Amino acid sequence: MAEVKKYEEPRIGVFVCHCGTNIAGSIDVKAVMEYARTLPNVAIADDYQYMCSTPGQNKIAEAINEQKLTGVVVAACSPRLHEPTFRNATKAGGLNPFRFEMANIREQNSWVHMHQPEEATAKAKDAVRIAVAKASLLEDLIPKSVPVEKAAMVVGGGVGGMQAALDLASAGIKTYLVEKTPSIGGRMSQLDKTFPTLDCSQCILTPKMVDVYRHEGIELLTYTEVEAVEGYIGNFDVTLRKKARGVITPAEAEARGIVGGGCTGCGDCATVCPVIKPNPFELGMAPRKAIYIYHPQVSPLIYTVDFDSCVKCGLCVEACDTKQAVDLEAKDEFMTVKVGTVILALGYDIFPIEKKFEWGYKNYDNVITSLEFERLICASGPTGGHLIRPSDGATPKKVAFVLCAGSRDNTGVGKPYCSRFCCMYSLKHAHQIIEKIPGVVPYIFYMDIRSFGKMYEEFYYRIQDEGAKFIRGRVANITQDPVTKNLHVNAEDTLLGRPIDMEVDMVVLAAAIEPTAETEKTRRLFGVSCSQDGWLLEAHPKLNPCGTTTAGVYLAGVCQGPKDIPDTVAQAEGAASAASIPIHRGEVELEPYFAVCMEDKCAGCGLCVNQCPYQALSLVEKEGRTVMQVTEAKCKGCGTCGGFCPGGAIWMQHFATPQIIAQIDAFLLGGEQ
Amino acid sequence: MAVKKDYKDQKLAEKLRDRKYYIPDSNPEFIKDVEKIGQTAAHMCYQCGTCTGSCPSAPRSSYRIRLFMRKAILGLEEEILTDPDLWLCTTCYSCTDRCPRDLAPTDAIMAMRNLAFKRDIVPRNFLQTVQLIYKTGHGVPNNDANRAARKRLGLEAEPETTHKYPEYLPGIRRILDHYRLKENADRILAEGE
Ligand SMILES: Cc1cc2nc3c(=O)[nH]c(=O)nc-3n(C[C@H](O)[C@H](O)[C@H](O)COP(=O)(O)OP(=O)(O)OC[C@H]3O[C@@H](n4cnc5c(N)ncnc54)[C@H](O)[C@@H]3O)c2cc1C
Ligand code: SF4
Ligand code: SF4
Ligand code: SF4
Ligand code: SF4
Repeated sequence: MAEVKKYEEPRIGVFVCHCGTNIAGSIDVKAVMEYARTLPNVAIADDYQYMCSTPGQNKIAEAINEQKLTGVVVAACSPRLHEPTFRNATKAGGLNPFRFEMANIREQNSWVHMHQPEEATAKAKDAVRIAVAKASLLEDLIPKSVPVEKAAMVVGGGVGGMQAALDLASAGIKTYLVEKTPSIGGRMSQLDKTFPTLDCSQCILTPKMVDVYRHEGIELLTYTEVEAVEGYIGNFDVTLRKKARGVITPAEAEARGIVGGGCTGCGDCATVCPVIKPNPFELGMAPRKAIYIYHPQVSPLIYTVDFDSCVKCGLCVEACDTKQAVDLEAKDEFMTVKVGTVILALGYDIFPIEKKFEWGYKNYDNVITSLEFERLICASGPTGGHLIRPSDGATPKKVAFVLCAGSRDNTGVGKPYCSRFCCMYSLKHAHQIIEKIPGVVPYIFYMDIRSFGKMYEEFYYRIQDEGAKFIRGRVANITQDPVTKNLHVNAEDTLLGRPIDMEVDMVVLAAAIEPTAETEKTRRLFGVSCSQDGWLLEAHPKLNPCGTTTAGVYLAGVCQGPKDIPDTVAQAEGAASAASIPIHRGEVELEPYFAVCMEDKCAGCGLCVNQCPYQALSLVEKEGRTVMQVTEAKCKGCGTCGGFCPGGAIWMQHFATPQIIAQIDAFLLGGEQ
Repeated sequence: MAVKKDYKDQKLAEKLRDRKYYIPDSNPEFIKDVEKIGQTAAHMCYQCGTCTGSCPSAPRSSYRIRLFMRKAILGLEEEILTDPDLWLCTTCYSCTDRCPRDLAPTDAIMAMRNLAFKRDIVPRNFLQTVQLIYKTGHGVPNNDANRAARKRLGLEAEPETTHKYPEYLPGIRRILDHYRLKENADRILAEGE
């Protein structure tokens, strides 16, 4: 393989697909097929309605046998769609599957040149000629198999990450669940009730949190972040930073020889701690101490010291007494674990809605966000479940809900996408105040009510029936009465065609959501792409929504795009299933597109070693000479080294220099030799 | 096309007029003209009403900027160009500041006025303003009350404009002449409509 090969006499079969009228609608398929017959090395050319169908695939296998083909070209759609299909067909005919080449005459041709049939046909002929040139030089390639570590990692312990970890562990896979905050639960633990069933959020979440904590297949790593990632599918080495928590668990206490010690969650420490800080879980609306838990249902129930605000007075150490759980000298610790596959479930943040200053958030006391509303209406929240006006503590009687606040916004300030759950939770919020505050009127300012899920439209019906008032119009701006701190909501009732100036006691902004600040860093560590809006990019929006283009890394929950809890959990289960497949198979095949060192040509200069973005290259001693060696499993076939090597000693399998030159020649010379 | 009904009584005829939208009554090119002149993607309006909600003219009149955007998309050229409301925009640009689709409704309105002017459909007061600018360099020239007020505030009676520097008036006139604005204003006013 490593030396330049002598090729057998090539015999290529060309198959042109109509794709119904997708291709044949603008390209003269017969003409392309006839043209292929005139090309050098072409032994047979044929066309068919749908090459991907069983009869279409059979044509390929039959032709390989009858015509003793050495290579196959299919001119059809994008290789992203059907390269695997046609490789299988090639294999079924008895050829090595890598002796197949695809000419994309649909996505890159018929679809974009719909109204230029002649030019499109000419371009299709070019594409076929180029593909035939490459196919004539293709060689047998054998994919490598690598063993897969029987362990998985889930990053992010919201409802999505928890579900994924539970599924993986229940399928018998050792699972590390990494959560950056001191407790699992994510945003869902901040919610009061959940639409459309109005289940109490904590009531359905807490048992799951306990399940995660107790599951023997799950190693729960809270207050922990991903520091570095090395490796590839089957063999990721993930370095984790366990942030200094300052409090040890009973298990850690036992390991340190402290009998009956470790944190029991009694809270004696927090009682004596003199430092008071805002509790981020309550969005700053309630205090916490420097040694704290977010809320009573946290899992694990272990206190955490915030070393940024701790004054090291030592009162907590005394209060903890014989349990000796508090360790004010704790330092960050690092650990490296090996896993076969990874699921990212990084969740989301609330868009800083004060950037849309026309609504006055952070400027007017009684303008709050929906997440703040969730805490205020929640019985275990800072006000014991009483919705009050921050300005004077009064109970609001007229509440305006501003939908699409910062979503569906193309100004560059907000977010262009729909945040997908704010319509539904605002309906829920309307219900919650009607239920709790006699005589209250919720006014919902909306553009469209997006109630697309199961029982969602019925929920909309119910809330309208309960008395919520709907005003179809986006809120233009809000002003505050400086004396009463009441708010004037200005909008147009677009159905009446009349401007509105509505005085209300309180405004709730259904603020857009956005990827968290750390999402960018974490995705880069795992080599995952993101779409324009920052959400992580799935491998295919319809056919592979849980996978990524990085083999072995999968996505769950909102980090892939806004979605509510039912969709998050569904995707998490999908991701867990996908992530368990390589682990259960025990080994994965790597695409054999790696670089190969042609040792007789390699001068051992080592210049390529630093070029490789994936650290796949090294220098080794072989038969008394220094030569470069490729770690095939690490190589992604990017070609950087192949293009760089001054001696031309690196052979890029399937994209070898002679193959690419042949393609360029075929294009430039128009088929003339 | 709208069905014609022949009622003798004018009031009744107006009341019972066919109000349906018929495609042949619309001009699909109109929105393209508006976009070309106004340099804004008016067809992307999603009818949220932020513009009307922001508009200082809306609460004081029947002018609805959102409705003009809607009618422009549907190509209701006649209805738009003959609607006197078209001239009630103050060009404050509040709607443009806030439009979530990042459109400039103000510029769309200006484009539609432009197209109306091409068909000589302009309110008289606008044409008289043109004449005033031609004469004084001001749409609202200084007057004695203003001069007195300025003096009370310790300002010069005449502002730093063509009032103080009449030598710049010919320049302004050249611009108006170049676009044949004055000529057209005079002509339309003389024709009486
Ligand atoms: C006001 C409001 C009300 C809502 N009401 C409802 C409702 O009634 N019904 C409904 O179905 N949905 C509702 N939702 C939506 C719901 O919150 C989400 O669907 C759900 O929380 C998504 O879960 P997740 O696991 O994807 O993300 P999250 O809940 O955001 O969890 C992500 C977790 O990952 C952790 N994390 C993030 N980055 C890292 C990292 N780099 N390393 C380690 N850990 C990390 C975070 O700390 C967090 O714990 C509401 C949302 C809002 C804002
Ligand atoms: S879910 Fe509703 S409120 Fe939220 S962005 Fe979409 S349409 Fe707007
Ligand atoms: S092809 Fe790319 S990934 Fe592979 S060894 Fe060369 S530089 Fe590294
Ligand atoms: S604010 Fe913009 S998108 Fe909304 S109705 Fe007005 S022009 Fe249309
Ligand atoms: S620019 Fe015109 S249409 Fe826009 S808000 Fe001001 S007056 Fe209204």
